[in-house]
Amino acid sequence: MTSSLATVPAVTATTTAGPAVATRSRTRRRTPARDFRTTRWGWAYSAPAVLIFATFVIVPTGYTFYVSLWKWNALNPAMSVYRGLGNYQRLFDSTQPTFGSSLWHSLYFSGAMVIGGTALSLALALLLQRGGALLNASRVALFLPHATPVIATSMIWVWIFNPRFGLADWLLHSLHLPTSQWLQSSTSAMPAVIVYSLWHEVGFTTVVFLGGLAVLPNELSEAARMDGCNAWQEFWHITWHQLRPVTVFVVAITAITSLQAFTQFYQLSDGGPVYATTTLSYLVYQEAFVLSDTGYGAALAVVLFAVTVFFTLVRRRTASGADSALA
Amino acid sequence: MKLASSRGIRSITGAGRAGRLARRALALLIGAAFVFPFYWTVVISLGRPGEFSDFPPVLLPHWDWSNWSRAWHAAPWLRLFGNTVLIASATVLLCLATSLLAGFAFGVLRFPGRKVLTVVVLSVLMMPGTVLIIPDYVLANDLHLLNTYWIQIIPWGASVFGIFLVRQFFLAIPQEILDAAALDGASRLRVLRSIGVPMVRPALVIIAVNVFLGSWNSFLWPVIMTSSSMDSSNTVQPVEVGLSTFASAEGTDFPGLAAAVTFTTLPVMAFFLVLQRQFIRGALSAAGGVRG
Repeated sequence: MTSSLATVPAVTATTTAGPAVATRSRTRRRTPARDFRTTRWGWAYSAPAVLIFATFVIVPTGYTFYVSLWKWNALNPAMSVYRGLGNYQRLFDSTQPTFGSSLWHSLYFSGAMVIGGTALSLALALLLQRGGALLNASRVALFLPHATPVIATSMIWVWIFNPRFGLADWLLHSLHLPTSQWLQSSTSAMPAVIVYSLWHEVGFTTVVFLGGLAVLPNELSEAARMDGCNAWQEFWHITWHQLRPVTVFVVAITAITSLQAFTQFYQLSDGGPVYATTTLSYLVYQEAFVLSDTGYGAALAVVLFAVTVFFTLVRRRTASGADSALA
Repeated sequence: MKLASSRGIRSITGAGRAGRLARRALALLIGAAFVFPFYWTVVISLGRPGEFSDFPPVLLPHWDWSNWSRAWHAAPWLRLFGNTVLIASATVLLCLATSLLAGFAFGVLRFPGRKVLTVVVLSVLMMPGTVLIIPDYVLANDLHLLNTYWIQIIPWGASVFGIFLVRQFFLAIPQEILDAAALDGASRLRVLRSIGVPMVRPALVIIAVNVFLGSWNSFLWPVIMTSSSMDSSNTVQPVEVGLSTFASAEGTDFPGLAAAVTFTTLPVMAFFLVLQRQFIRGALSAAGGVRG
């Protein structure tokens, strides 16, 4: 079942290669087919989706730039005062929480999620690959946290991280390891949020890796084994290389969702203690909707947008590199 | 499951029966660890008052349902559940319609500007929700859409993932099938409805379950857009926002909160477990699409 779906993209890869050529040769013989496919009504078919995106995504992105130039009055926009780049200059003021520290927290969180999440989910995928009812059940168990709401599960983890009666310290205690203050100390709060987020996200990326493993051709691995490669050499030289496009995808999607992550910081740590978990996303919310400084919040949002675009473009470049290396 | 034979790991752990057994045991242990937080929440919710703060933690329930009834009567949960189901279902329907139409346009039809539109739709992926929340709030305020169902449905009624999944499925259909129907004189909408829809049905199912779950689990958007819809009798807030409000009001009542977390999470968990195959197929297709 899974394998039949996993082969769909492989089929499409070949069809996308030359749809233009295919239709051209075909339409020379059958004019009605050409009429069927070539139509100005294509605009109308894509219009509902494009209109929604234009109204709520594309135009608003431009509008964010505009708002970021004002001391925006949320109650009466006509009363807003033009500030030019004033909101951007404020980024470098040293009032707490600073822009610099929140940018660092965003990169700290995203970096840990990308490295930890990718390594962990690849290891889990290698462990769980191939069927068997039990391994399948574990796969579902792993995916379950990802399917449940962040807000509800964050509440659970507040108790788990409780230094007085929580499961986390109880576990460390029973293993005779040093316990932690978790969310209540500014040094361990971010690691605690990362532990929670890995628990919530890793099921999805594991299944993505499982999908990648399932469509890999077998011949190279078999040849490697015949040549006397051990398991580690086979993984390092063959599987890891073949998986590269999937790894790039996992890294990109983890980086982007981590940069945007908001709810766990809201419910789990409230941006604290002492702003230790105030990321850029959280600061945008805080400035715009709690402190009602919409203009400054918009300037922060523009920076967040720039960081996201940067990562997306880096991904594009590396992705095309990986694809051509494979081809 | 016809997954390809293992790479590497076989020789690491599968050296023999002992290795296979060790691998199973490890998988079971990890799976149990991932589910354990949910189990512990149920235990707290069914515990005696004050018991939640025992150390070492209590790991077996005492079946005291009083926390559940206390939590259930503290908020209009039925109304909140109804809101969530209404919002999520309407979003799914809208998303299916827009994905089907746009996926058909991008996958099958040829029209001037198709490439431009494709790039426009793809660019949406780069614009994070946290960035959009400010201008969309201003926009919703101008359109008098704050504290309504509409603002929770329409903006999420189109999905880049959905459009490209439908497009992939259309590209995989042999061209002759659609062309033959057109030769018989069927209109484009007719071809889409009677031939296209059945052939891309697996994609539609994947989109439906993922959009439904995404809508159910969303938080930042509804909490901002419905912030003044607290009136309990006719609130338009979804259940997750209600849970958050409940948590800040009753934050010290841990067993009650655990009960609320349990009964608000159970429906979505059941939904996932019944349809887990579809979710896993969705994630698998995300991986396969990497090469496309």
